[in-house]
Amino acid sequence: MTTTEHLQRPPAEVRFADELARLRAADTAPRPPGWALSLDAARRFVVGDPAAGVSRKFVGDPSLVDRSLVTLATSRGLMLVGEPGTAKSLLSELITAAVSGDSTLTIQGGAATSEDQIKYSWNYALLVSEGPSTRSLVPAPMLRGMAAGAVVRFEEITRCPLEVQDSLLSLLSERVVAIPELPGTDGMVFAREGFNVIATANTRDRGVNEMSTALKRRFNFETVFPIADHATELALVETEAGRLLERSGVSVPQRRDVLEVLVTAFRELREGVGGDRLSTVMSTAEAVTVAHAVGLRGWYLRGEPGTAADVVACLAGTAAKDNAEDLQRLRRYLEQRAARRHGEQWVELHNARHLLPG
Amino acid sequence: MTATGGGRLEIIGVRHHSPACAQLVRERITALRPAFVLVEGPSDINGRLAELRLGHTLPVAVFSYLRVENGTRASWTPFCDHSPEWIALTEGHAAGADVRFIDLPAWHPAFADRTNRYADAEQRYADAVDRLCQEFAIDNSDALWDHLVETGPDGDLGERLAIYFDGVRGDATAGASDQAREAYMARWIRAALAEAPPGAGPVLVVCGGFHRPALLAAAERPEPGWPEVPAPPEGAVGGSYLVPYSHRRLDAFEGYQSGLPSPGFYQRLWDEGAESAAAWLMDSVVARLRRRKQHVSTAHVIAATTQARALAAVRGHRHPARTDVLDALVSTLVAEGLEERLPWTVRNPQLAGAHPVVAEMVAALTGDRTGRLAPGTPHPPLPAAVDAELAALGLDGRGPLALDLTAEDGLLRSRVLHRLRVLRVPGFERTSGPRSGRDPVAREEWRLTPSDLRLSALIEAAAFGATLADAAEHALAERVVEARGDVAVLASVLFDAVLCGTGALAGRVGPLIAAAVADTSDVPALGAALASVLGLWRHDRLLGAAGDPGLAGIVDAAARRLVWLLEGIRGGPQPADPGRLAAVVALRDAVRHAAGVLTVDRADVVAMAGRIGPEVPPDLRGAAAGLRWSLGEPAEPAELDVPWAPKIVGDWLAGLFALAREEVLTTPSLVATLDDLVGELTDADFLVALPALRQAFEFFPPRERAQFAELLLNRRGHQGDGRALLRTTVDPLLLAEAAALEHAVDEILTREGLLP
Repeated sequence: MTTTEHLQRPPAEVRFADELARLRAADTAPRPPGWALSLDAARRFVVGDPAAGVSRKFVGDPSLVDRSLVTLATSRGLMLVGEPGTAKSLLSELITAAVSGDSTLTIQGGAATSEDQIKYSWNYALLVSEGPSTRSLVPAPMLRGMAAGAVVRFEEITRCPLEVQDSLLSLLSERVVAIPELPGTDGMVFAREGFNVIATANTRDRGVNEMSTALKRRFNFETVFPIADHATELALVETEAGRLLERSGVSVPQRRDVLEVLVTAFRELREGVGGDRLSTVMSTAEAVTVAHAVGLRGWYLRGEPGTAADVVACLAGTAAKDNAEDLQRLRRYLEQRAARRHGEQWVELHNARHLLPG
Repeated sequence: MTATGGGRLEIIGVRHHSPACAQLVRERITALRPAFVLVEGPSDINGRLAELRLGHTLPVAVFSYLRVENGTRASWTPFCDHSPEWIALTEGHAAGADVRFIDLPAWHPAFADRTNRYADAEQRYADAVDRLCQEFAIDNSDALWDHLVETGPDGDLGERLAIYFDGVRGDATAGASDQAREAYMARWIRAALAEAPPGAGPVLVVCGGFHRPALLAAAERPEPGWPEVPAPPEGAVGGSYLVPYSHRRLDAFEGYQSGLPSPGFYQRLWDEGAESAAAWLMDSVVARLRRRKQHVSTAHVIAATTQARALAAVRGHRHPARTDVLDALVSTLVAEGLEERLPWTVRNPQLAGAHPVVAEMVAALTGDRTGRLAPGTPHPPLPAAVDAELAALGLDGRGPLALDLTAEDGLLRSRVLHRLRVLRVPGFERTSGPRSGRDPVAREEWRLTPSDLRLSALIEAAAFGATLADAAEHALAERVVEARGDVAVLASVLFDAVLCGTGALAGRVGPLIAAAVADTSDVPALGAALASVLGLWRHDRLLGAAGDPGLAGIVDAAARRLVWLLEGIRGGPQPADPGRLAAVVALRDAVRHAAGVLTVDRADVVAMAGRIGPEVPPDLRGAAAGLRWSLGEPAEPAELDVPWAPKIVGDWLAGLFALAREEVLTTPSLVATLDDLVGELTDADFLVALPALRQAFEFFPPRERAQFAELLLNRRGHQGDGRALLRTTVDPLLLAEAAALEHAVDEILTREGLLP
């Protein structure tokens, strides 16, 4: 194993190894079969427990975490749906790290995902020389998860072709994978206690509506919402953008009022004042990116913290992308909403509206 | 629940309507046999506490009002079976204690911004509650309350309550109004400590938990002399009386300023215990969904029950709590993404747009109980006030009645009858009269049928106010809230408010409607509403609504909303939408005639119209051009950029003509341009453009169409009457057939080389 220092982003069980160890040591509550932690300890790992020195890692509703964990302990899979950038994948990573101690059994769904990336494939050199055997078998995450009794993550499941999605059906109901090429008992891999699936799907791509009813029935659905609380989101954007800026060599702190304008604008554009939402994703993750870009512009162009005018310039790229309608919505927002707000930073934002292209 | 004052004082801090707190109060009264039970409640009705004990079916409320020069303030003090205050009142009395209310009267300025005395004080100190929720990693204060109190472990409830409320109170200093109330309540406690005879039981205080730390600190030593009940300000009329109340009105999910949510659920909890309440909730949600033909199988119910038990176990509840059951149901029954957050996870839930399953769940929680006053309860003042008013106006008879609204006395009588109508008092039926603000009818006909049901309806209506005008105003305000932004419903409430007299509009109803209008997205409906409200505001002398400030607020809100919505409309070529065009006209008229009350000015509207670009339906683009022109920009009509594609020109012109009819007629150069361009259309293109062109010219009344025709004739050097040009003596269909035939002949001739 390589040392974790040089990894861009080690998995959750490595990043928070000591928190997990501490929780495990103090965990006396009964554990569901096959789980590395009790439900209560797993919950505290995700939502935080300041008294035990466990940080809060997911800022959404705590009840969502409860529901998700309980679902995993039953025989149903967990389906996390929501807008892009609402930390679905982070939540699924944290939960698997807590429940199985390993968040790397992951299938990334996509148009090219095939069944052998889900169940198993073969090492063809060995297959040709030795014939089918456990040696020549290359287990994919689902098979490994079942054999080890671990939670498997299936990211962006709705982006897979429907027939590939449906290959999960028998796995989830029979809890067994048949490998007809292998003789004897090796030909049936039964799921051990602790095996389950967390799938994520975002509502902007092909939604979950196209999913077969049979597969839907095997999952409990949980919707992950953008951060409800303005102050929480602002704090998150501030820390995350601050971290990114530090890495980019920017040494001045960002203006808080500018960040506040940014986060407020994002929230209002996302929720769509009066039911008119931008078609582009305006998630917290995007807000962090824009905040980062604003800081970079201010520092490297003028040697000062970014201003509200920089926000407009950067928003044009993020919020409008190549969509003329969104650009127009953004312009309307700046013309009508920003003009009604008080405070220097809002005036600055309104006055910079001509920076929008077109 | 610490006792101080030498063990002679015990203060129980409660959450209003909490079953666990009610149980605690009951236990403490039995254990302590207190000499005094002091309850947070209006001290001005201390002389009439016996009325509360007549054996009513709860929920009921004490309704208090104070009429001063500039309006009436109303507030409610609601009680249900599981209100700790109610238990203190009834069981304290049964235990032989001297029971008193010790808070300021409802009309006191300390309650200026409250309509519900027992609204949660925590809501005013949300930061502290949020901090606590974060500490316990729980969604919101209601779930936290269930977790700590209602489904917490047995015993030590007093201790846990103290921790909770001390946490809420934190280091925050209470607001001025809470301080005034606490100082007043402390005086009663000190007096009770002084008055309690030696050897008698202690003094037990039941108050909102938020006030407890302050009261404990302020009531250290006895101080003889009961405080005086403050008298209402000079010249004001006020009073308090009992009215029936309902679960629906108690529920936090439905109204603002409520206490504990889900009264139906907590009623079960109080009656039958936590386990049975959870089972009831599960059953009633499933039954409701099945009634709505939603698919809920037995497997679903089993899964939900398991899930609820598991959630309760994770969260450390002995029995599934409210949110455990709700969370379990939503996990197992909703197999798709949700659009809105779950209402029980947020502080101020919006039910509009909730998933149907979720909406049924919330409805089940609310409960359906309605209170009834016991026979012999003194009647509220409303029935007597109504009888007197009816007698004075000669409306106490029976049979048909015709009113002339132009006569002062006719209008007065009409308003009284309309107020009774909006309060749904039986026996007052309007058979004819104006149906909207534009209806030029000045005569109303009514049919009066005295009925035995009138009295009970008036007693119920008394929950809205002590006089007919006040009660109608509050009833209308409630309809606005229930309309949930439906413009058609809002418009009908608005017109009812106008019919009932202007006091309601200027009071609560107008601002509420303005707020609702600011949220709607239906452009045609909003435009129609703006036009009619603007008409009432400018011209209505008949019903007396002209110049009403409530209407002015609605005009402003609607105009501002239209400016926002119009800029957001998008779309390719499509037929002109008359509703949308009428909305632009209404906006223009508001800018022209009501500039004084608008917060958007002419420049804003002109700028908005200027931003309407090419990706907008043609009628709206034409209307935007017309809007700018009719507001004085551009000065040169040559700047008008008429699109000449035959498919859109008619729709574009419809927009232009809808807005700038007069300007077009007084600009011969534009008429000339139009003439040239229509002339250049090929026959086929002309036929494509014709229907939309016809629709566009419909915006001109016949006289103006004739004027237009005259301009055309003049341009071509003809003299004569324009009207002749507009009238064809032949059926247009015949003309079209002739033209088609001619065209076909021409084509054949050309093909055969017979035409040059």
